[in-house]
Amino acid sequence: MPDLHVSLPAKLTEVRNLSAAVERFGDANALPQPTVFIINLALDELITNAIMHGTFDAPDPKIDIHLEIEQNIVTLIMEDNGSPFDPTGMDADDVDTTSSLEDRAVGGLGLHLVRTFAHDLNYEFVDGRNRLTVHHHFKPESE
Amino acid sequence: MNIEVAEEREGGALILLPVGRLDSANARAFESIVMEHIGNDERRLIFDFGRLSFISSSGMRVLLIAAKRLSANEGTIALCNMQDHIEEVFRVSGFDQIIPIRDSRQAALELA
Repeated sequence: MPDLHVSLPAKLTEVRNLSAAVERFGDANALPQPTVFIINLALDELITNAIMHGTFDAPDPKIDIHLEIEQNIVTLIMEDNGSPFDPTGMDADDVDTTSSLEDRAVGGLGLHLVRTFAHDLNYEFVDGRNRLTVHHHFKPESE
Repeated sequence: MNIEVAEEREGGALILLPVGRLDSANARAFESIVMEHIGNDERRLIFDFGRLSFISSSGMRVLLIAAKRLSANEGTIALCNMQDHIEEVFRVSGFDQIIPIRDSRQAALELA
C-alpha cells in the first residue's frame, strides 16, 4: 500500500487537485467511499483553516499532505510553513450547532466537522512547521 | 473557481442544482449565484442536491446565509435529494434543525 505525499502551494483552489489524488489513493487501497469522503472533508476544512486564519510569511507558502494506512487506520498528516497556529486551541464547545436560524453563527463549523468524524486530531509545531495529525478508523469493505 | 448550477422552475419555486463539488475552491462563486437570485426577489428556493457529490463547511456557510436572508424576507428554503454522507454532515452540524431537508423534490416543494 503506497503512501500518498502531495506538496501544494497554500491556495484554496489547490484543494481540487488534492481531492482527485485522494480519490485515486482510496481506489488503490480499497478504502470505503465514506472514508474517502471524510478524508477529503478534513483536508478541505484544515487547509481552509490554515489559509484563512494562519499567517504565511515565508516567500513560498506551502502545505504538505501525507496519507498512510495501517491496520484499518488512515493517518493524515498536514504540515505547513506558516507561523505557529494551533487550530485545536479553539474551544470545541464554542461551536454553535443548536441556536435558532436567526442566531446561528456562520463560522467555526469546519473544525467541528473534522473533530466529529475523526478518531483524534493533534497539533504540534515541529522543525519550524505546523503539523496536524488526524487518525480515522475504518471498517474494510467486505470482499 | 466556478461551479455549475442548473436552474429549474417548478410550482413558483426556483430549484437550484449544484453539480459536483461545493467546497472551499468554489463556495464564493456559489454564494454570488445564490445571492443574486435572492437579490432579484426570489422568495422560494429549493436546493436539489441530486447532482452534488461533496460539500464542506464553506458551501454550508452559503446555505446558512441564504436561509437567514430568506427568513428575514419572509421567504422559504428547502433542501432535497441529498446523498447519505452529505445528509450526515448537515445532521452533525445541526443544520437539519434550522433548514428543512426532504428526501424528494416533491416533498420539498410542499414546504417551499
